[in-house]
Amino acid sequence: MSAAALLAREQWRFWWRSSLALAASMLFLALLVSTAVLTALRTAEETHERRHQQQTANSAFLAQPDRHPHRMVHYGHYVFRTPSPLAAFDPGLDPVTGQSLFLEGHRQNAAAFADSGASADLGGLAWLTPAFVYQLFAPLLIILLGHNAVARERESSTLAAILAQGISGVTVLGGKAIALLLAIALLLVPLLLVAVLAVGQGESLAAALLMLAAYLLYLAVWGLLTLLLSLLAKQEQTALALLTALWLACALLLPSLAVNNTARALPIAGQIETDLDMLEDLRKLGDGHNAADPAFARLRRDLLKEYGVDTVEELPVNLRGVVAEYSEARITETLNAYADRRMALEREQANLLARHGWLTPVLAIAQASRAIAATDLGNHQRFLRAAEALRFDFVQGLNRLHAQKLAYSDDMQRSRDEAAQRRTRIAAENWRLLADFHFVPDSPGNRAKAALPSLLALLVWFLALAAASFGAASALSRIRL
Amino acid sequence: MNLMTPVLRESAHLARDRAFIGWAALTLLLACLSVAGGLSEVDEQRNTITRLIEGDRQDRLNQQARHSDWGGAAYANFHLTFDAPSHFAFAALGRRDREPWKHRVRMLALEGQIYQRDAGNPVLALSTRFDFAFFAAFVLPLVLIALLHDVQASERRAGRHVLLLATAGRASSPWRLRAGLRAGAIFIAAALPLLMGGGLSGTPGATLLAALLLLGGYLAFWSLLAYRLSGWERPAPVILASLLGVWILLGVVGPAGGKRLIDSVVPLPEGADILLTQREAVNDAWDLPKEVTMDAFVARHPQWAQYAAVERPFAWKWYYAFQQVGDQTAEPLSLAYREGRRHRDRLAGWLAWLTPPALLERSLQRLANTDLRAHSRYEARVRAFHRRLREFYYAKLFLEVPFDSAALAELPEYGAEVDRPLF
Repeated sequence: MSAAALLAREQWRFWWRSSLALAASMLFLALLVSTAVLTALRTAEETHERRHQQQTANSAFLAQPDRHPHRMVHYGHYVFRTPSPLAAFDPGLDPVTGQSLFLEGHRQNAAAFADSGASADLGGLAWLTPAFVYQLFAPLLIILLGHNAVARERESSTLAAILAQGISGVTVLGGKAIALLLAIALLLVPLLLVAVLAVGQGESLAAALLMLAAYLLYLAVWGLLTLLLSLLAKQEQTALALLTALWLACALLLPSLAVNNTARALPIAGQIETDLDMLEDLRKLGDGHNAADPAFARLRRDLLKEYGVDTVEELPVNLRGVVAEYSEARITETLNAYADRRMALEREQANLLARHGWLTPVLAIAQASRAIAATDLGNHQRFLRAAEALRFDFVQGLNRLHAQKLAYSDDMQRSRDEAAQRRTRIAAENWRLLADFHFVPDSPGNRAKAALPSLLALLVWFLALAAASFGAASALSRIRL
Repeated sequence: MNLMTPVLRESAHLARDRAFIGWAALTLLLACLSVAGGLSEVDEQRNTITRLIEGDRQDRLNQQARHSDWGGAAYANFHLTFDAPSHFAFAALGRRDREPWKHRVRMLALEGQIYQRDAGNPVLALSTRFDFAFFAAFVLPLVLIALLHDVQASERRAGRHVLLLATAGRASSPWRLRAGLRAGAIFIAAALPLLMGGGLSGTPGATLLAALLLLGGYLAFWSLLAYRLSGWERPAPVILASLLGVWILLGVVGPAGGKRLIDSVVPLPEGADILLTQREAVNDAWDLPKEVTMDAFVARHPQWAQYAAVERPFAWKWYYAFQQVGDQTAEPLSLAYREGRRHRDRLAGWLAWLTPPALLERSLQRLANTDLRAHSRYEARVRAFHRRLREFYYAKLFLEVPFDSAALAELPEYGAEVDRPLF
């Protein structure tokens, strides 16, 4: 057996005899497993619930009686987002974004009802998820296990004995690193199980593997940091105190301060504020409910010319429906322009926050983890876009029915004449134009791409710490104590 | 022996302790950062409200010429409602981070509007802001743990424990004094920026005093705990690890478990169901005989009974009556939702006594008016305002007052609602 392997085995023997290491590991695993089970159950329940709600919303739309097609435009439709399989590990933004969205004509609504609003307040860290446990508490366990790896040998003077046998400092580091890496691999077993479960639920293998790799890299960063300080510190207690302070800074202070900094450096005007401008822009487009609005004079002229008739009554299509379709398209252009601007700003904010990942690996892994789990901002915006596509599709479908199936004269009289009003109703079977809403998470390739900058930050952390540890370990042999 | 002598001696000892000076300076810096962050956020929120008030007024003015009837004006006119941050909000942003504190509502069914979220970027809402409440509840205990866990163990390691005990007379006094002085210094380092922030923000003295008492009590709890455990005859790393374990248990695991428990014990109606119910009721009304809607409306608004007849296929008063009936239909669900949320909050209030970090955060948020109660009060103010808006237009629509755009100047203004206590 090589010297490094022997050292690793010795380290494991030490942990095995240390009640502190054992107790801390057991507590961590208990916390992790219970959180994983609870989150998995909750996610499964939510998936079931949202699917059910989506079916209810679909059948409610289809079950509407014969009526005026524009009424269906305002009746609208609901879409629900079902969590991605890996959301059972990292729910990411899901609890704060709202899961249901009301789609109707002439408007783009925001997602309503976030879970975080309905739950009671019990402090800023009360939203426990498996990802959060890994991100925050696994480093603490690694610190506890590894802080004395070298410092203990130094303090008990065994380090000098080891070095005197001709074993190099790098080999000592290698042995300790192997021991710690094995511990990290064990810590990742629950994540492996969650990943297997997610793959069983239709998650791609690539995404699940990438998730594992990302957390391996993250925990390895903490492992190296711990070994480095254990190498440098004269006493194990100093190593522990320094590492605890570093953990406090990286896990608690910097992520939270990064949020403050992002909000201050790149403020975004609220939706109500931008809506003030948007409403003014929309009003300039004319009222699509009023075919006589001067905004549509040209459309009317072109239409009369196209069909070679003199009055709108002679048109083979219902002018009101044509106007509604035309106006919806123009309105949607404006709505999308504002939505795109807002989404771009939000992404910019998110990117700025993600860049703080160069300061603390905790932010980097949080960002990468959300991206891989398909619970990040990009994915939320994909949901909003998919919902918008569905909205535009069924609203315009209804507007075309309005143009083709309703007589203009009836349509004009319907508010005054009961008989005309009855003739403006079209059969309920037409509501089947509503497409099913199946929102699927982004492809693993795109998710990996979104996670790449954060993974890169982690990799740089890893390489820098590896180089520093290597340097410190080499210095160990040279000094020969 | 002069009582002051040991205090002076320990103080001099502290002033030479570089690790302690470092932690105290860090505490001061972080407290300043948290207070500055809170102040700048609150400032931004106040500016937003000022801009919105003007924009909202201008928006209604711009449209005034376009109205030709009361119903159309009511449909087009949005009205700003908002919840201005309190003078102490900078210290505990609480729900203002995640929940909407501004709306623009109109005469349509309110249940469809009041849950609209203008709550900012979810990426920022996900992580807790670094406000004073977070700093005090989670970071300060760690500082105390770092400072106090080895007050006795370090001397024991250095072999001075027995010697110091023998010279000091009473068994625990030197450690107690040392721990007390350290904790007191940390309290001052944390409290000074808070007081300065309070001064800048115009916080009432009583609120600040209450906050200081809470902070003092909270730090005393952690200091005592750390001090007690530091006397445990174990190596310092074991004591430190145990204290960290307690911190995780009280700050994270307990609250998270409690939250899950409360959520499962007190089920809430699905928010989406409130919206669906309201929408079904509003849309069904188009196909129902008009009397059905008007009867349901009049049952709650008997003063309009004699004007409730609708002769034409479309009349604005009928349109707004079914909006009102839509709200009435969703009311049981909406009330259950609100009551459920309050019930959850009450339980959380009890549970927080077991988890001091949550208790401190909740208490500071209570002082800052950024807790669920404050949010519910704001919602109640929006509802009251909407009621006044409806009363204004009902009087015009039902009495068939000829349209006069000048009368729109008399529209109710948000802000005059009585802030009734809800609990």
